[in-house]
Amino acid sequence: MTTHPAAPGDGPRELLADSRQLARRVRRDQRATWFPLLVLSAVTFVAVPVYGYGHYALTCRSQGVARACYVSSTSVLVYWPIALVLAYVAIAAFTLRRARGRGVGTRTLPYAVAGIVIAVLLGGAAAWAAAHPPIGSYTFLGLTVGPGHTDWVFQLLTPTAAIALALFVLAAVERSWALLVLAAGYLVFALLPVSDLGWVIGHPSPWDRVPRLVIGGGVLLLAGLLFALAQRPRPRAAA
Amino acid sequence: MTAHPANGLNDVVHQRVRLGILTIAHEARKVEFGYLRESLELTAGNLSQHLTVLEKAGLVTIDKGYAGKRARTWITLTKAGRAALREEIDQLRQLIAQIDHTSG
Repeated sequence: MTTHPAAPGDGPRELLADSRQLARRVRRDQRATWFPLLVLSAVTFVAVPVYGYGHYALTCRSQGVARACYVSSTSVLVYWPIALVLAYVAIAAFTLRRARGRGVGTRTLPYAVAGIVIAVLLGGAAAWAAAHPPIGSYTFLGLTVGPGHTDWVFQLLTPTAAIALALFVLAAVERSWALLVLAAGYLVFALLPVSDLGWVIGHPSPWDRVPRLVIGGGVLLLAGLLFALAQRPRPRAAA
Repeated sequence: MTAHPANGLNDVVHQRVRLGILTIAHEARKVEFGYLRESLELTAGNLSQHLTVLEKAGLVTIDKGYAGKRARTWITLTKAGRAALREEIDQLRQLIAQIDHTSG
């Protein structure tokens, strides 16, 4: 039971309002959303020459009279898991250093860990999918995927989808609605067949992924710049 | 008869500065002494006194260390501190609801 008289400004409404304001301030000081977005944008743009000049192999699979072939690039399959893991390590190192400098802990570490896990898992799944091109329906991890859905499953195994899924984790840890909208939009973009983007290079071409990479990298770059602008340090009010 | 929410308030926490320390430590996971001092607009001596009370009550832990040559003090919320903060916020909300109910 409280026995001492309440000081002015210690009313329940004032205390709750103070508490909320302090919580908002800490969250604002913790956020550095722009950095992961700019790093992932750079990783996406660097992927363009990897796709363009990488080594490609043709894998074919037969089932009865049906035959399916899949063109995959070893350099692409190697590039993405390594590039994404390095990107998330850089993000973790930057946010830790920045948080220490500001005097608060950081919330971004779960995002970096989730990003690495998703990158490694989807990288492995993409390598498996490249070696097992779909014919009609196929089974993966005990799930049978019908003929009409294989494109979607393959789109989900792309690095763009891996980046989008990790962005959901970042939106959750930073409790940011703006980032949640970006993550949802980016996932939709990742799942769209490239022809729906209205910018198609004649198939088959090693450059056929360039439109997706340029648009994806551009979106991340623009979002990163906007977040940097919104999260720039504000001068402290004079006491 | 139900107990009045004011009876459930914790003397150690029911105070602007200490509630502020717990709130910041909760949001920040761990927070540096200087950040607390600046955010709460306190002198170092005043903040130290409040932190000592909270540490004695087992609501925060205080770790001193160095970042390069600079001495830094980090404050972390304990499990009891998280529970005390949650309880205080609940009590404040109940109190506000009761005031609104009585005046409305």
